Amino acid sequence: MAVHVLETDGQVCPFPIVEAKEAIALLDLGDELVINFDCTQATDALPRWAAEEGYPVTNFDRVGDAAWTITVQKT
Amino acid sequence: MQRGRFCVTGNTRWLTAFLIVIAVQSIGVFTLDAVGVISLSSSAFPWLATVLGAFLFGFAIVLAGSCATGTYYRAGESLVGSWLALIFYALFSAISKTGVLATGVSGLRSVTVEASTVHGLLGVSPWLLIAVLASAVGLLTRHHLRKRPGAHLATLPPRKRGIAHIIFEKQWGEFTTALVIAALAILAWPLSWATGREAGLGITGPSSNIVNYFVSGDAEVIDWGVYLVIGILTGAFIAAKGSGEFRIRIPDAVTTVRSIAGGALMGISASLAGGCTIGNAMVNTASFQLQGWMAFGFMILGTGAATRLFITGPSKARSARNAAAREGAGQGAAAPGSPSQTAPGHRTARVSVRR
Repeated sequence: MAVHVLETDGQVCPFPIVEAKEAIALLDLGDELVINFDCTQATDALPRWAAEEGYPVTNFDRVGDAAWTITVQKT
Repeated sequence: MQRGRFCVTGNTRWLTAFLIVIAVQSIGVFTLDAVGVISLSSSAFPWLATVLGAFLFGFAIVLAGSCATGTYYRAGESLVGSWLALIFYALFSAISKTGVLATGVSGLRSVTVEASTVHGLLGVSPWLLIAVLASAVGLLTRHHLRKRPGAHLATLPPRKRGIAHIIFEKQWGEFTTALVIAALAILAWPLSWATGREAGLGITGPSSNIVNYFVSGDAEVIDWGVYLVIGILTGAFIAAKGSGEFRIRIPDAVTTVRSIAGGALMGISASLAGGCTIGNAMVNTASFQLQGWMAFGFMILGTGAATRLFITGPSKARSARNAAAREGAGQGAAAPGSPSQTAPGHRTARVSVRR
């Protein structure tokens, strides 16, 4: 199982989620994608996207003021 | 707004939320009109400018990353891109309303038809339209509430308790946000009326007024609407600060250019259409004005066109390229089954370029 990191800091919605979709398409099953983002609206959009796709979220936390990280597993 | 992540350009769930705002507000507006607190006036419908302006506006909000209101509250959240979009938006709405472009804008807006409201055109009571709208919105809301993933949704670990948690941390649902905004939008009518500004919520006019004030020093232009937009800015600042979501965020080069271009285009097109997302699509729709609904429709078309052009189109192209590259590279780069946790060296294709 590999862990891939996607940095989207500085991008506003919907670009983090667009990039996340592109990135996860390249992953192998079971791989995890760490998405670091600083767009506030993505705190709603990314977990919702994961839930709708049925991808488990293994980590979701703040890493500082207005900075977040979420880890989504491809299943 | 900041707490609800209010955004009109988001998706269909937000579109439903937006329709809730319109439906609830129209009940309030026509009630206020009936009891005589306000009186809805109507003027001829500038169809050409509305269609053109609204389509361009839809296009512009995708470029700028949010609509006019979104830009205000995101600016309060300290996104530098939104500061730029906001400055150019206010500047260009002033240019189009009272500056060098004013003649062109009012020329286009003088192309009108006599009809002004939907119920006037159909010859029915506005209450009939309200009933139809409210039931449609009710059904849509139920549909969205049903397919909500609910418990599976990942949430952030709480850092606060009690009231502070509810206000500053817990994500406000979009439908709750819609009801709060509808209440504010209804309240805005009599409040604004009391100060002599005979209209509901609005964003573009006040933005242009602020620029005029700064340039001419004429305090007459400072009206209720100006305090409103300043309120949105400070409100979002307080909300973001209280949630620990305030940090000056610098956009990358592409986002910067898009914010500036989008902001400027937003200013011109909102003046053409006679309002932004709020003034036209949310307030003029609630009073069933043709300008509002027409603008709403063309705004969605414009947004759709720009989304395809700037977001989904390029994204699909990249995905196709990525897939082709993966096929070509064989198993080499993305060796499956590797048990080790990979360091930042092992990143997905697009990652290394961006910071």
